Amino acid sequence: MSGHGGGCLCGAVRYRVRAPAAWVNLCLCGSCRRATGAPAVAWARFPRLRFALLAGAPTLHRSSARVTRSFCPTCGTSLFVEGAHLGPDIVVAVATLDDPAAFPPTMSAHTGDRIPWMVPLPGLPEWSGDDDKPEP
Amino acid sequence: MADEAHDGGCLCGAVRYRFSGEPEQSAWCHCRSCRLATGAPAVAFLGLDRARFAWTTQEPSYHASSPGVRRGFCPVCGTALSYEAERKADVIDIHTATLDDPDRFPPTGTYYGVERIAWFPATGEHAGTL
Repeated sequence: MSGHGGGCLCGAVRYRVRAPAAWVNLCLCGSCRRATGAPAVAWARFPRLRFALLAGAPTLHRSSARVTRSFCPTCGTSLFVEGAHLGPDIVVAVATLDDPAAFPPTMSAHTGDRIPWMVPLPGLPEWSGDDDKPEP
Repeated sequence: MADEAHDGGCLCGAVRYRFSGEPEQSAWCHCRSCRLATGAPAVAFLGLDRARFAWTTQEPSYHASSPGVRRGFCPVCGTALSYEAERKADVIDIHTATLDDPDRFPPTGTYYGVERIAWFPATGEHAGTL
């Protein structure tokens, strides 16, 4: 089967993407950090038509006016972000892909919010931070 | 101030905790289980004296991620909060990023560096196997 598989810790949620990521964004914002319980989160954006949920039913949590996050109700793994600013796309937590090493970040967001001890990834362009436009 | 209190919790606030005193350790973990539990490429945790730690709201939901191990997460928003192992019953590990002031406790070691995702920077000296 083509593409890349992924899923949560317990295996209740499984998915597959069949397209290259439009971008991989290492986000350092406080909301992403709290949502996962980690100092940084890498997100990969895919066209929804190239994404398939194969098993499970993630729980939705609307963390802000425009961002809906979802996680596995059995084990808690943070999985996806959706929102109007992402149009028809879905954003997937890279660490939940079966081969996260294949998705190195292409940019970083909210670097001003970085926890001082979070090791920086040098050379990544910064997302503009313009909330009135879709993220690149 | 050994008895200073430190607070933390999940994204939505449904699960909150408090501990006092200094952590027994502060470390990075790159293991696949921690990465999947959070959905993040690496995790930092604090090892806390169980007697000086308390949930101040409802407890988290638990998932037994391996024999003798349970991980706590918020049932409302999914935040990964805690790790507890039967083999060290007097300790609770808390994900440092869930503290209200995560700057306060920089990691000083690294677990499972061998499982680090290649594009994530190395985080320092190997601290051993949990």
